[in-house]
Amino acid sequence: MAAMSDPAAVEVAAPTWDRFPRRSVALRHLDAGSCNGCESELSLLSSPDYDLTRYGFSFTPSPKHADILVVTGVITEAMVPVIRQVFLQMAAPKRVLALGACAADGGIFVGAPGVLGSLAGIVPVTVTVAGCPPSPGDILRGLLAVTDHRDPRAFGEAME
Amino acid sequence: MSTIVSPPPTRAVHTYATAASWLETWSDLREQGWETVLLDAHQGVEALLMGPPGRDRDAHRSPLVSLRLAAEPAPQRPASPSGLDILETLDAEMRIAGEEPDLGWQAPTSVPVRGKGLFVYPLGPARADVAESLLYRLAVMGDEIVQLDLSPHFKRRHIRQLVRGRSLLDALPIIARFTTTSNVHHTLALAMAAEAAWDVPAHPDAAATRVLLAELERAVSHLGDLAALAASTGLTVPQMEYLHLKETLLRVNFALFGHRYLRGMVCPGGLNASALPVDADPVPAAESVRDILRSASAIAGQLAHTPSFLDRLYGAGVVPPSAIRQLRPVGPVGRASGLALDVRQRLSYADYPPDLRVPVLSRADAYARFRVRVDELEQSLDLVLSRLSAWDPARLSHLAVDARAFSGPPRSAQGVGVVEAPRGLLAYRLVLDADSGRLDHLGVATPSARNWPVVPVAVANGNILQDFPIIDASFGLSVAGWDS
Ligand code: SF4
Repeated sequence: MAAMSDPAAVEVAAPTWDRFPRRSVALRHLDAGSCNGCESELSLLSSPDYDLTRYGFSFTPSPKHADILVVTGVITEAMVPVIRQVFLQMAAPKRVLALGACAADGGIFVGAPGVLGSLAGIVPVTVTVAGCPPSPGDILRGLLAVTDHRDPRAFGEAME
Repeated sequence: MSTIVSPPPTRAVHTYATAASWLETWSDLREQGWETVLLDAHQGVEALLMGPPGRDRDAHRSPLVSLRLAAEPAPQRPASPSGLDILETLDAEMRIAGEEPDLGWQAPTSVPVRGKGLFVYPLGPARADVAESLLYRLAVMGDEIVQLDLSPHFKRRHIRQLVRGRSLLDALPIIARFTTTSNVHHTLALAMAAEAAWDVPAHPDAAATRVLLAELERAVSHLGDLAALAASTGLTVPQMEYLHLKETLLRVNFALFGHRYLRGMVCPGGLNASALPVDADPVPAAESVRDILRSASAIAGQLAHTPSFLDRLYGAGVVPPSAIRQLRPVGPVGRASGLALDVRQRLSYADYPPDLRVPVLSRADAYARFRVRVDELEQSLDLVLSRLSAWDPARLSHLAVDARAFSGPPRSAQGVGVVEAPRGLLAYRLVLDADSGRLDHLGVATPSARNWPVVPVAVANGNILQDFPIIDASFGLSVAGWDS
């Protein structure tokens, strides 16, 4: 059986080496024009099968408590001020994870009216996770890449 | 097992020259109990009407009629309200069926509120832990919610505009991303509309697999909705159990069809068997599905005996009778409000059993919506098991995407496809270029677009602020399917 995980899914766009809170990391999700597929997978991170709290991650409804902003969807013009505002409200150090083909580059929706297809110039993206939707395992890898600055899959390969 | 493949429902099309004559036929049929859905209110109007069930049992379960109005202007807001509220239905349908749907539609009874002590909570578009973007404005007086306003427009991807001018097969991947949790049904409705337009029926070998895909999708969707409902009442254990079952079923999807959300399988003319994994094995899949069925029944049984859960759901978020009559919500929301419409029963498509029974309750509260989903989930998993027992992927290998059959001049420039998606009636109407077969225009009637206007009136119906997350979760609607 083919694996649900995509080996090339996680891309660390901007490795930054300043200190990042590692033990308890709060996530703020923001939908910027998704088809709800990415949300469906993201909400499965709470399931016992993935249990994101094992790694110290948790979801928070408040940007003020958030360390990582997880953005899904095509980035519509209507959401740009909201994304900016939420990022502004987050306390530093803070990171952005672009989740799914849509948030990475607009995917199949490039060219639709009001669709930007990129977070460039809005907020700085640290890690991109490819997939449509990315599997929950790949999302976890992406989150760990945000805190560890490299895809945890690379650690696994080094040990093999 | 022998599968009975029913012929695709034939649809009579009646064209009217004036809005008055169109409206007269439309309201006559409504008064006789026909179900309506306005497919399109762009360049003329097209409504699809489904007759009451059981009349014409052998051939089709319900007669199907399209009422087309070629002329402008479209029928407008009714001059005087009718006793049956049927003209209000038309008004609501007109507003949500346009190319630029009027998403702020409110029930006619809703009036602006103001006064001392009134506080408006803005909630959204960024809200909750993982949620789609939508702005709720909850006006409260003390604890009681007196009004709810919904503002979408944050997520618009302009899908109808994006597909215009594309060939059918170029539009298919976009339609498969309309609402991913319902993508099988979106592509199925599009495929059925194309099959009608080009007069190329779906290959009969695809019928059982289409049911399998559709019911797997419904079960995943209902499991997710039930998990969200358990979470909204603060019951983490059933939430985790439902999420685990959802994940298990998504893995079954992946093992059988190579995609966790089953995308890429349904195509016009049948199925895209080239995307089937070579090692798809129905035996372990059926074993997993049987486990899921057993566990889901056990969790639902425990919830039905958990007073803290029942207390929060009973009598919460009752859809007012006027809204049921005027808006006619579809899917589990409608069936929990006494409206016995299920497209699988009314029209013959794929190979659903002719004696399919769907749960219908009339309490119209959060508890009824919970019960309907629980029963439908079990029924879907039963259907999955029955189709899996005779499913042999090796016998499907001859099915492939036939690009040639669905390009070039169509037999008819318009085609309609109607299915019962997890959230309710979903209809596609294609208007094709007579020479190239490219899409001139796409009309889509989604269940979420139809059901969202019911939410404000159900929330502002004697509920307190603390009930809001529960009522919201009990509807289980998608924003992507509305704000598209
Ligand atoms: S990446 Fe795919 S699954 Fe995620 S929002 Fe976009 S279309 Fe949907």
